[in-house]
Amino acid sequence: MDAIVMLLITLPVVFFLSLLFEGVDRKVHARMQKRIGPPIIQPFYDFVKLFNKERIVPVTASSRIFTAIPIIAAAASILGAAISVASLILETGIGGDLILILYLLAMSSVMVMIGGSSSGNPYGAVGFSRKMTMLIAYEVPMLISIVSISFSCLSLAYYDIVATQIGMKSLLAFTRPSMAVAAATFLLCIPAAADAVPFDISEAKTEIIHGSLVEYGGPYLALVKLAKAASNFALTFLAMSLFFYFPALLEGYASVGLGALCLCLVTALILLLLTITVPRTIFARLKIGQAFKFYWLIPMGLSVLSVALFIVGL
Amino acid sequence: MANKSDDVKEIKVDYTRLRVPFGPVHPALKEPISLKVTVRKEEILDVDIGLGHVHRGIEALAENRNLVQTLYLVERICGICSHSHTTCFTQALEEIGRIRPSERALYLRTLIFELERMHSHLFLLGIVAYEIGFDTLFMFAWYVRESVLDLFEEMTGNRVHHSMNTIGGVRWDLTPNLVEKVNDSLKKIEKSLKYIHEVFQDKTVEKRLCEVGVLSCNEAKELCVVGPTARGSGVNMDVRRDHPYAAYSELKENFSVVLRQSADAYARIEVRILELFESINLIRTILEELPNGPISKEESILKLMRKIPEGETISMVEAPRGELLYFVKTNGKEGLWRLKVRTPTIPNVLSLKPMLIGCEIADIPVAAASIDPCMACANRITVVDQDKRETRVTDLENLRRRGRKQWMP
Repeated sequence: MDAIVMLLITLPVVFFLSLLFEGVDRKVHARMQKRIGPPIIQPFYDFVKLFNKERIVPVTASSRIFTAIPIIAAAASILGAAISVASLILETGIGGDLILILYLLAMSSVMVMIGGSSSGNPYGAVGFSRKMTMLIAYEVPMLISIVSISFSCLSLAYYDIVATQIGMKSLLAFTRPSMAVAAATFLLCIPAAADAVPFDISEAKTEIIHGSLVEYGGPYLALVKLAKAASNFALTFLAMSLFFYFPALLEGYASVGLGALCLCLVTALILLLLTITVPRTIFARLKIGQAFKFYWLIPMGLSVLSVALFIVGL
Repeated sequence: MANKSDDVKEIKVDYTRLRVPFGPVHPALKEPISLKVTVRKEEILDVDIGLGHVHRGIEALAENRNLVQTLYLVERICGICSHSHTTCFTQALEEIGRIRPSERALYLRTLIFELERMHSHLFLLGIVAYEIGFDTLFMFAWYVRESVLDLFEEMTGNRVHHSMNTIGGVRWDLTPNLVEKVNDSLKKIEKSLKYIHEVFQDKTVEKRLCEVGVLSCNEAKELCVVGPTARGSGVNMDVRRDHPYAAYSELKENFSVVLRQSADAYARIEVRILELFESINLIRTILEELPNGPISKEESILKLMRKIPEGETISMVEAPRGELLYFVKTNGKEGLWRLKVRTPTIPNVLSLKPMLIGCEIADIPVAAASIDPCMACANRITVVDQDKRETRVTDLENLRRRGRKQWMP
């Protein structure tokens, strides 16, 4: 019962935090480009404004799928983020919830992809095929890095991994070489999962007009954008709690209180800036073939290396 | 262009093909052009280029105006190379009227011309960066371009349409104070340019630009491609050197024509970056060697206009995008019989087809941007019949017939 109440409380909190994180990301991005940038709460303005706009469903779209998908996508990614935050606060978890979180996040990208292809727009179709290729490219190394963690902590429950870090009074990424490599893999996969430059190939604005999002507007677009913001938040929060759970280092904060939660959020924000904002400021967009090659060479190699290192006992 | 029945047949046979409309409205295009691209997965099989979305009938307008009004009209053909258009037009008028502008006026024309080349090339570098998703470089290139625009404002009072040229000279003089300001700005711009050049050699940028949109030297010659697009394919041509105008015959020693042999998008961009350095050198020389004297004729522009007799001539300049050609035929009564404008984009835009076939979808914006198309300059008439739902482009035979009727009574 407690768990359900806590989850319900976390949902609006996640909504607020994910849009706030997006605002910070945009501001820092602008400052790095010598621009003033939008106010930090700009994503909230955008959300409200888009929500009050007209709903347009293209004639060529299969309308039920087209309209249902933004809701499913937003719900999936917010739920994914909320489960991780709630189970951290409640200090409990069920076996396998880590897999649930990862699949909720993947589901939100798959949903957006399907929504685009159901719009009947050729750009949506190109966006679908590009996103499909990217999913195959980054999901596999990402999941292997999670497998490597679960070997090390002997659990697939999200909170068990956090508890392991508290028990060892250390960050998982720094405990052994195999975990450091796994952390690197996970962080390398975040830009692709977040559709940020250089891996925003599936929604390249200048090439295929945002791909899957091309026909979405008004409240639907608001929901899809929310889904993306929430999934970015969830990814960085996940990376923070799995590999860099800083409260574990501090005596007083070991159990999760408000202070520890703030520390977690700051760490997650720094990870977001490092993995999403910085690459999208300093790189140009890759082509789909180049991105695929990159993911199947470097993160894939690293993830396999991490498992191999664990097996030999490092 | 494939004929219509062939097209239908092909689609019936091959379901793996997808026809992607690229434009007329597309975020990668700053101005409307329609590319109907046939793709299989990511590979481009065919391209059909359609023009005519922003046709404004400027040539016809010019025939109803007097020469001075036309001078300001042709300036509005293009916002980026407005000075090239007026220079080309005034040159033609001066040739017909046998008016010789002073040396100082010619030098000042050249000065604005080179500054315009700088601002146009910086504009393009920003756009290319934006097309490949490199927003930071885009912002930086335009930040540098802003200082060139500020110089324009100080010198002529306008950032875009400078209105610098007049028949028989220029309208604004350069004070010693301004010379110093230009020199100071140039120092800063040169430093930033070196940085931009370095960033364009970055690996992720090269990955997107190298071996994209290859236009071989022979194809470039066949399509009569001009300007940096031709020079990127190794065609050695530059109006400034081949047919010197304004003060370029005196400044011949102070610039070199930049050539690249690799013929891809990167070559075309690199040509432009290096031309920027050449422009800086030219401007410095002009500022040093600026001759003294009046900047325009003492007579008013209206008196000069009335003196221009009936006659015809062709005038050429090297606009930032390539060779710009005007055919001017005056009627001796302050007006024009005929004005024909051939902007560099007209030959350049046709080179998109050989560039794109065999590339990927991701390369379309890069290749399209690398020729620096300026659609408003290039449009031809398209008749859209809404009742019959058909579009037809006025063809050559039709134009010939109408031409004969109007010009050969």
